[in-house]
Amino acid sequence: QLEHGRALHTAARDGLSSVSAQDVPAERPRAVFHTSESDPAKHTEQHEGRLYDIPLEEVKAVFPHGLPYRFQQQIQTFNEARVMVRRPALELLAYLKGSNLAHPAVRYVIYGERGTGKTMTLCHVVHYCSRQGWLVLHVPDAHLWVKNCKELLQSSYNKDRLDQPLQASAWLRNFKTSNERFLQEIKTQKKYMWGKRESTEEGRPLGEVVEQGLARVRSASDAVGVVLRELRQQSHRGSFRLLVAVDGVNALWGRTTLRKEDKSPVSPEELTLVHNLRKVVRNDWSGGAIVTTLSQTGSLFKPSSAYTPHELLGKEGFDALDPFVPIPVTNYSPKEFESCYGYYLERKWLQHEKAHTEDGKAELQFLSGSNPRQLDRLAGPL
Amino acid sequence: RIMPVRWSRYSPSYLEPEVKKESYQKPLEELTEEEREQMELKAVRPIKAAPPTLSSSVFSDPMISKFTNMMMKSGNKVLARSLMSQTLEAIKRKQLEKYHKAPENEKETIECNPYVIFHQALKNCQPIIGLSNITKGGKTYQVPVPLTDNRKRFLAMKWMITECRENKHRRTMMPEKLSQELLLAFNNEGPVIKRKHVLHKMAEANRAYAHFRWW
Repeated sequence: QLEHGRALHTAARDGLSSVSAQDVPAERPRAVFHTSESDPAKHTEQHEGRLYDIPLEEVKAVFPHGLPYRFQQQIQTFNEARVMVRRPALELLAYLKGSNLAHPAVRYVIYGERGTGKTMTLCHVVHYCSRQGWLVLHVPDAHLWVKNCKELLQSSYNKDRLDQPLQASAWLRNFKTSNERFLQEIKTQKKYMWGKRESTEEGRPLGEVVEQGLARVRSASDAVGVVLRELRQQSHRGSFRLLVAVDGVNALWGRTTLRKEDKSPVSPEELTLVHNLRKVVRNDWSGGAIVTTLSQTGSLFKPSSAYTPHELLGKEGFDALDPFVPIPVTNYSPKEFESCYGYYLERKWLQHEKAHTEDGKAELQFLSGSNPRQLDRLAGPL
Repeated sequence: RIMPVRWSRYSPSYLEPEVKKESYQKPLEELTEEEREQMELKAVRPIKAAPPTLSSSVFSDPMISKFTNMMMKSGNKVLARSLMSQTLEAIKRKQLEKYHKAPENEKETIECNPYVIFHQALKNCQPIIGLSNITKGGKTYQVPVPLTDNRKRFLAMKWMITECRENKHRRTMMPEKLSQELLLAFNNEGPVIKRKHVLHKMAEANRAYAHFRWW
């Protein structure tokens, strides 16, 4: 009882300056760490450390891919998707709100140690942009494109490059689910030939290119390239705003574990998907923003202690991404830890009797070091 | 049955280490006479090294540690412990999903605490009476014999682990198999409970030889 009362007082002190009446936890004093504000556009510093709810239909529409696996399991167990509002995400949202779309796209790189919440910050930003009606180009994990590829075809468009039909078609399918309405509005500007007989005329909706890529899996990577190119060239007109969200962008400039048939290693430039993605991430287009995340966990040939942009991107990547806005993500602050702990208690995730005590809480904080991933892993069996 | 006494490398003057935080936080006045004597003894006598399984964490459970050790293969405690934590998480997820789907009046009957389920399941699997081989007159008889608590716990855990390792499909993961078996045993169903009943029936059938036991 006591600690809920204390938390209520601190929240009341913070919330005295707030104007919105929805936030005052009148009916349920236990839900101090929740907020009923489910529109990311209205999140401000008062909402810092609180968890907001995303309706499940929206989750399926906005995030067909891109959410971390453990978060998806959590959504299934608790029957709701609650994301914590944290300071790096608020910073990014403020920058996006104030950005001038006539200028070239600004690049934001979210970096931090392992398990601090980079992917979740990216997902928060993607949710905001899709609510605002932007076209979201979300690459869930670029590392999946440079490792564990079962099929590598030689590209028909350019003899030196290699195609990845499976990854490209999976991405096109998810892209279609998240951006249905834009695919009818945007028209192609050039005629594209798929092989000798099939072609897409000028002025056809982009949905046709996507259908072509899904139907003919062999040309899926070229379809992806066409989609990226069209979006890049048409975003400056202002009919739509483009958000390019890439998770694990350091995969584009590292090494791959793929080998050609003569066992020689493949470098990332030789993959069509990576080549096209590198062109999108350049800031030569306007009318949107590029938000990327560095990731060590899926990376290849990088030491596990590396987390800064310079270490993970290497010289080539750093020069390619050079004028970018770095956004560091750190472990939970005491307030955020309290709110996460309270949420687990409320949802009955922490079942151990000792986990409800002060000793248990202190032990969880110590063992996890306030790291979100460690806390999640520790709270699993408890 | 008299077990051989194991010897330890420590001389008898060594005392056991005290791990619980509460015993060190008591002020001096609250201690009884014996506890004061114990404290003075600790000041002069040497103390044994704490074994790695002894933990001062509030979440540690001796039965879970024993089970993890039994699941361990070739000393890979990291893997055994991660499997155990994944099992407990799997049990919790299954029970929570059932809980959220159940109507209001049934919600109290659903047990979501994986530790309670684990302990209850193992308790349900413990046999009451065991069989031992006794040779009399050239023939070996299966004689019903009482079991000690340690032996009962060991048998329950051993049966659970062998059941999961051998009688399941090769490709299922251990946490999945174990969580399923533990939930069945919690409800007094499943192959492990059946094995316990088979043992009880054999002991009942061989009741006539019970007088062969001399201890």
